[in-house]
Amino acid sequence: MALKTRKKRIEAPAPSPRRKTKFQADLAPAEDRSVRLLKEELQLSSNTDFLSDAVALFRWAVSERKLGHRIMSESASGERKVLLFPRLERVAPDLVLPRVEIKWTGRELESLAELVSAGEANRPTDALIRAMRD
Amino acid sequence: MAIVIRRLEENDEAENFDCGDDALNNYLKRHAWTNQQKSSIGVSYVALDEDAPRTVLGYFTLAMASLPRDTFPKKYVRGLPPYDLPLILLARLAVDRRFAGRGLGHALISEALRISLRVADEVGCRSIITDAYRDRVSWYARYGFVPIEGAAATGPQRMFLDVRTIRAALPR
Repeated sequence: MALKTRKKRIEAPAPSPRRKTKFQADLAPAEDRSVRLLKEELQLSSNTDFLSDAVALFRWAVSERKLGHRIMSESASGERKVLLFPRLERVAPDLVLPRVEIKWTGRELESLAELVSAGEANRPTDALIRAMRD
Repeated sequence: MAIVIRRLEENDEAENFDCGDDALNNYLKRHAWTNQQKSSIGVSYVALDEDAPRTVLGYFTLAMASLPRDTFPKKYVRGLPPYDLPLILLARLAVDRRFAGRGLGHALISEALRISLRVADEVGCRSIITDAYRDRVSWYARYGFVPIEGAAATGPQRMFLDVRTIRAALPR
């Protein structure tokens, strides 16, 4: 006997109207001038387009730093400048952070122990005397 | 040019600092303030011109370190005090290359040694150690740092300066 399975009709949810977020910013006169100048240079007519492009650029910069990549410019003569932007540095991965890790080899420990347990310390050098008396 | 050396402050300008070594540049630009203020694991001191009192011309970083007594070879342990060995680590020292040759390095290490001596007097510390780049070993040796034997031939040279030697250099 064949069983009839009931087909359940699944209705696709009605598309919700796309909500747009309004973005408002209070800019100091100098910042406002900068934005106007940039819009002019980039030939952007609206603040929306400006913000959209700025976000795209920022998103790219964040993704590069998250990968541990450095962002730099290179002049025609090959001179390179690395972008160091404090907020971007916060997203850089920990693995590229320098760490002060003191590792000692057996011979180094022996050498240090000899120096530390010496009855008398070395006499100060002339440069050290100058350094402490300057 | 009148040089001032003081603790690193948040608004100090280090973005253009260039000593010719990426690791030392990046440490100052990215980590020195956090390590000092947030993590409290090392304090950086900066050299500044009085006429441009925010622009960093050179810096050094000091941190505390210690070695457990039982890490030393047994034949020396008996001669050592029965505690971990406290050390001061001169973790970084760098001068912007545009200001090299003007005595900034001397001013920085002088201050680092004075601070170390104060720490030794007030808290207790036996010696200062630093990992010197190979081409800087002779510069540190001028100030009495002694190479600690046993480092890998290619890496930095670990160096030692006894606090008693610094004390002996003080004016009497």
